[in-house]
Amino acid sequence: MFLRLRYYIILTGFIQIISCSTNQEKDKPLLFWCSNNQREIELFTQQTEVWNNGPSGIPIHLQPIPEGQSSEEVILAAVVGKTTPDIYANMWQGSVELYARAGTLIPLDTLKGFLKFIYERCDSSVIKEITSSDGHIYQVPWKVNPIMTIYNQDIFLANGITEIPDNYSKYRQAAEVYKSNSRKNGQTHNWFGYTEVKPIWYERLFNFYPLYLAASGGASLIRDNKAVFNNEYSIEVFRFLQSLYRDGYFTRERLSAAGDAFVLQQITTKWTGPWEISYLLQIPDRHFKFDYYAPPVPDDHVGPVYTYADPKNIVVFNTCTRPQEAWDFMKTLIDKNGDLKLLETTGQLPRRKDLQTDAFYTDYFTKNPMMMTFAKQVPFSKGIDNCEVIVEVLDIISQEYEACVVYGKKTPEKAIEDAERAVNVLLGENTPSLNAM
Amino acid sequence: MNADIPIKQRGKKTSLFRRKEILPYLMVSPYLIFVLVFVLFPVLFCLFLTFHKWNIIGPMHFIGADNYTRLFHDRLFWKAIGNTLKFLLLHIPLQLVVSLFLAYLLNQKIRGIPFFRGAFFLPVIVSGVVITILWWQLLGYDTGLINRLLTSVGIPKVGWLVNPDVAIYSIALMATWKNVGLYVILFLVGLQTVPPQYYEAAKLEGATRWQQFHHITLPMINPTIFMVVILSTIGGFSLFIEPYIMTGGGPMNQTISAVLYIYKQAFQFYNMGYSATLGFFYAIMIMTVVVLQKKLIEKEE
Repeated sequence: MFLRLRYYIILTGFIQIISCSTNQEKDKPLLFWCSNNQREIELFTQQTEVWNNGPSGIPIHLQPIPEGQSSEEVILAAVVGKTTPDIYANMWQGSVELYARAGTLIPLDTLKGFLKFIYERCDSSVIKEITSSDGHIYQVPWKVNPIMTIYNQDIFLANGITEIPDNYSKYRQAAEVYKSNSRKNGQTHNWFGYTEVKPIWYERLFNFYPLYLAASGGASLIRDNKAVFNNEYSIEVFRFLQSLYRDGYFTRERLSAAGDAFVLQQITTKWTGPWEISYLLQIPDRHFKFDYYAPPVPDDHVGPVYTYADPKNIVVFNTCTRPQEAWDFMKTLIDKNGDLKLLETTGQLPRRKDLQTDAFYTDYFTKNPMMMTFAKQVPFSKGIDNCEVIVEVLDIISQEYEACVVYGKKTPEKAIEDAERAVNVLLGENTPSLNAM
Repeated sequence: MNADIPIKQRGKKTSLFRRKEILPYLMVSPYLIFVLVFVLFPVLFCLFLTFHKWNIIGPMHFIGADNYTRLFHDRLFWKAIGNTLKFLLLHIPLQLVVSLFLAYLLNQKIRGIPFFRGAFFLPVIVSGVVITILWWQLLGYDTGLINRLLTSVGIPKVGWLVNPDVAIYSIALMATWKNVGLYVILFLVGLQTVPPQYYEAAKLEGATRWQQFHHITLPMINPTIFMVVILSTIGGFSLFIEPYIMTGGGPMNQTISAVLYIYKQAFQFYNMGYSATLGFFYAIMIMTVVVLQKKLIEKEE
């Protein structure tokens, strides 16, 4: 009898502990990491406050991503240490496949209402782009910053460049005019354009890749675990960029150490995103006007001009115990109002279809006409192929880019062929079957 | 035998004996734990990793000696080793000669010597990243101060960091400038341990300054020379910050150092198993070089 009573007390205590911890788990707020960008912190603080004060009852704790050399390294450390947040906004699209294959992300398409919401917000091409090789969707397409050509309007006018140099011949002609005028005026430290020469993989996302997408109408680098970039477009891009260095229109020197070359008017054009607009507008002693246009294309190009979208997305890690509730919160970040807030607070574009035609955003674009150029580009912006080793692929292209484009040590044909061979060897070593084991 | 000792006394002796036996281990235990956790375990784990393919977030796959086979066929790794050796070939002799020369000068009795000693040591205590960024600006091709000075006196510009044949040597010069202060101090200590009577006796015998330096100073500071060679070899083998910041390994992979390549494999491509293999191999290589250096110098002695 006494023994039974003892078992009863232990069992009751155990049930109480379990129910207590379950209640605690239920009350525990969902941890939401955002980037360290001041404007994004401001945006999410507003949105989280609205959510927490609303009727939902699931508190969200916002925290900027902890300090580290890069957000990628912090996320990696968190995944390894199993200290990931429930939700993370600002995941580079190229990293998602790696984390998805490792089983660290929640397949969002399994959540109630996700697919309906996403199909209403995004184009089918975007949904296809973010669908992983296993057929699931692990990311919410959040924001894009299409890479365009920024140019100094005053320098263009002063040199008689009245037509936008939107193809290779026009771009080279304008560069030649600018170069000869600069030399006549004794200016030897000015260039028509600049793009980072450092052979680091991510730099190719801001020179080779947008130009490749522009030339090819949005072609892939990798398809069915094979390199598919050995084509006329990549060769033409390499040849065009090589000519810019060979003829002295671009410098091989890294200019970033000596200040912003565009602000200092050392360069006239560069390939960059809309984040530059608010940055340039707030410089008090800026004495020049600027504008944007799409990346230059081959002379015989027809059809829309694509570019790199630089997409950053929202993911839910598998450490999240309540993904459905996390999704309910995430919806408020990317609904019509959330996307307007993103535009107004950060000056970045939501990855939403019909952004430029939807009357809901007309007022914003009327007040910010330069952003309209980017909004029109959004449907023709592409992310990166879903490939687990995309960083290494870009690194291989980077090595060949440096040898061919910057130093002219290889022909474009040979450089692209060597890159294709090396990428196929790499992809052969990293077959999905091995990684899925 | 213990039966003759009273029980109380016997207990005391045993506990004292035990305490004496355990005490030294207790004293060394903090360091022992540190070595076990932060040295021995990582080394053994690194060795374990060399036989695996692992991207740090997914499961590990045993691949036998594939990483070692890959290492011997990895052209870029061998290029990185070659670049590091090129760097060392200039860096070590230059470091040795310049630091010894400066230490010799700073060992003279002249006014303001504490200022000069401090000035030469200053680059050692400034952050390596700050110094690298500073030199990056100085060595710029079109906008760098050094090339502007050269062109102002009619000398053509040098592609310090953009010429594939020059870049690694520019980095070696910069690294020497940064580290020379440390070795100056070491040589200064070595020079001050030479008894002045030796020089006085040599002077009486009519020895010139060079003869004094050659026959007295050099043999007396041989242990310091050995230490400087070893330290600068190990320091040179770990070349990383300078190419990482200034060139990213370019132009044309001419400045990619072995450590930078290992870092790229680990933290850019997440090839943990392969980078562990490279690191293990490289550590053995450094150890072999240092042992060979030691034997050579001992033989010379």
